[in-house]
Amino acid sequence: MTLLESPVGQSLALLRVETDPRCRLRLLELGFVPGATLRVVGRGATGGLLVAHGDARTALDSATAAGLQVEALRA
Amino acid sequence: MLDSARRTPNSCCGDGNSAIPADPGAARVALVGNPNTGKSTLFNALTGARQRVGNWPGKTVEVASGSWRTGGEGAAPVALVDLPGTYSLVPRSPDEALARDLLVDRAAQGRPHLVVFTLDAANLARNLYLLAQVKDTGVPLIVALTMTDTAAARGIEVDPQALSEAVDAPVVPVLPRERKGLDTLAIAVRDALAEPRPCPAADLGAVVEDAVRGLADHISSEEPELAARHPVRWTAVSLLSGDEAPSVRGALREAAAARARTLVAENGSPHEDAELLLAEGRYLWAHRVHAAAVRGPAESRATWTDRVDRVLTSRWAGLPLFLGVMWAIFQATTTLAKPLQDGLQGFFSGPVTSLAVGLVGDPDQGGWLPGLVVDGLVGGVGQLLSFVPLMAIMYVLLALLEDSGYFARAAFVADRLMRVLGLPGQAFLPLIVGFGCNVPALSASRILSNRQHRLLLGMVIPFVTCSARLTVYVLLAGVFFGSSAGTVVFLMYVLSIVLVVVMGLALRRVLFRDSAREPLILELPPYRMPTLRGVLLQTWQRLAGFLRTAGGIVVVTVTAVWLLSSVPAGSGKGGFGGVSVAQSLFGALARCIAPVFSWAGFGEWHASATLVTGFVAKEAVISTMAQTYQTADVDGGAQPGALGPQLRATFEHASGGHTLPAVLAFMVFLLAYTPCMTTIAAQRTEIGNKLTAVSFVLQLAVAWALAVLVFQVGSLIA
Repeated sequence: MTLLESPVGQSLALLRVETDPRCRLRLLELGFVPGATLRVVGRGATGGLLVAHGDARTALDSATAAGLQVEALRA
Repeated sequence: MLDSARRTPNSCCGDGNSAIPADPGAARVALVGNPNTGKSTLFNALTGARQRVGNWPGKTVEVASGSWRTGGEGAAPVALVDLPGTYSLVPRSPDEALARDLLVDRAAQGRPHLVVFTLDAANLARNLYLLAQVKDTGVPLIVALTMTDTAAARGIEVDPQALSEAVDAPVVPVLPRERKGLDTLAIAVRDALAEPRPCPAADLGAVVEDAVRGLADHISSEEPELAARHPVRWTAVSLLSGDEAPSVRGALREAAAARARTLVAENGSPHEDAELLLAEGRYLWAHRVHAAAVRGPAESRATWTDRVDRVLTSRWAGLPLFLGVMWAIFQATTTLAKPLQDGLQGFFSGPVTSLAVGLVGDPDQGGWLPGLVVDGLVGGVGQLLSFVPLMAIMYVLLALLEDSGYFARAAFVADRLMRVLGLPGQAFLPLIVGFGCNVPALSASRILSNRQHRLLLGMVIPFVTCSARLTVYVLLAGVFFGSSAGTVVFLMYVLSIVLVVVMGLALRRVLFRDSAREPLILELPPYRMPTLRGVLLQTWQRLAGFLRTAGGIVVVTVTAVWLLSSVPAGSGKGGFGGVSVAQSLFGALARCIAPVFSWAGFGEWHASATLVTGFVAKEAVISTMAQTYQTADVDGGAQPGALGPQLRATFEHASGGHTLPAVLAFMVFLLAYTPCMTTIAAQRTEIGNKLTAVSFVLQLAVAWALAVLVFQVGSLIA
């Protein structure tokens, strides 16, 4: 599933980043590397997601979030 | 991003200050780090008032540099440069490019002697990624471990000794807000400068390291010139990740591509490429360092920032709260600033003018000196200084928004709305402020980190109708539209919004085609309480910059208008300074311009004269109307008095009977052309001379075309 479809609060493992190259590089730099643990903290007022990865919080628009392939981690 | 936003995008019009310290003998130390790591707070704590903001040579970004007294016997002050925060040495904006420019692209003798790297203890892995890149350049470095208090609050404890061993560089914990650790940092810097030690690279894993080493050896033996110019390992790493450096020859690029292919093949995953493997290598190193130096919960816990965010960015509360904050800012920059602005204006037109009259004489008695000093300089400088409270309020609010962390949330909430214009969510704030006054709005545009976005925003802000224009709408609508006046004024606001959207889209297509539709990938810093010192320092720096740049243009314009209205034209009676407006050069100029507006229905000199002074300030439009009719009973703009019948006669005569379309056309012109000379001065500060000139011509062209369209179509319908 994609990050966009993931429920709030669920721990997720990042599988692949499928966005355009420039955007992918910035995501990699911010720690969105395959294997990273992510968690959707909230959904924004006008779309987009708030994502926790490690101790950082990052806001992503929905198109970017739809390009992140994730799988649920067991609680 | 917030960090980088504090720099002024200042193109060719800076005051010539260079960010590179003037003293070539001083040791050069650069502060490098991610945004929101407390880097600028550290810089301010280390340099205090001994800092200046100047243009980065050859770039359009300003950086702060300052003198840091590290103490010790006979130790000379260190020249400290605060580079804009960046996530990577592969830059995405001009601000971010500075770190790479200084550490890599510059010849060895121009590089810093030492880097102080601010490492956020609460966000270690992410920060270590950039540290791994900086280590690739081999520059001697010291790690300043910041945000240890935030980390402790989350149950994270970083062992500085273990961290120092893991990253192979000295580590000094600092809390710049509380001035803790600064002396220890100074000692570490003195020691490191006395015995510089190139920093060893981070270990990116055996397979990646083999590829990097192989390519680095190739560069050293086959490309000695390139090796002399740039750090060899850094060049090898960036070539492997596919970075297109123009100075690199084709043969080397092919060698790099071949090694990259081998590297990917050895890893064997279909989804991977060299860039990804290098990023993963850096994160593997970061996690090893993290494991060695950090004790704390394995998984991040929900923080109070998360809980606050759940409300402030939520679907149900996010937008109303955001609009509430924007409304408060709008109120503060209008209602709160107005009495202060009026008070200062009164001070200049009252006591200061009286003092000037006492010193040089009364301009009404004739003579050029009293006219120039009292009407020109005192009037002009008075107008500029009357903006100071408004600008100070704006800058304080900006600093509060940025430093508290809310600004990043506001950008997230407004992102979708602003995307219509191809601008990020942060652009919402300057546009809102623009409805109060365009001048602070232009200054607020510097919060955008992308230069193309800043330039685009700087060109559309003048189309946002400000409160000064409102006074003229109210007067004209009251005179001509009776009970429909409110609707007409409302329509001017609607038109303003339409113009902002249309001009934004058009400029994007024509001037800013390169401006990519940027995805929203925005780090949200934890909420923090802004400090008084930090807010005041930022406000002062920005205010001083505004006054420096805007001062000249305002004085010149006011003096020019005074000169024009003092010189008699043709058969005008009375000497220099003693003519009526109608008989001055100003009146002659207005008559000269008037025919240009005949297609718009107001080709009449009274109307064009008000538009000329409207260029200086929209506040002056109504008083000029009164002056041209020699009417004295205009009160504050809202009471037309005897002006009404004269205005009616003017527009009826000029439009050949189509009065209402002509008045509407006049109002539309007033909305779209140059807001005021202070706006031009502020534009010049933000977007440079060339684009300010383009914007000026564009506004006139759009205003004229729209006015003609409104009058011609209106006349047909009426």
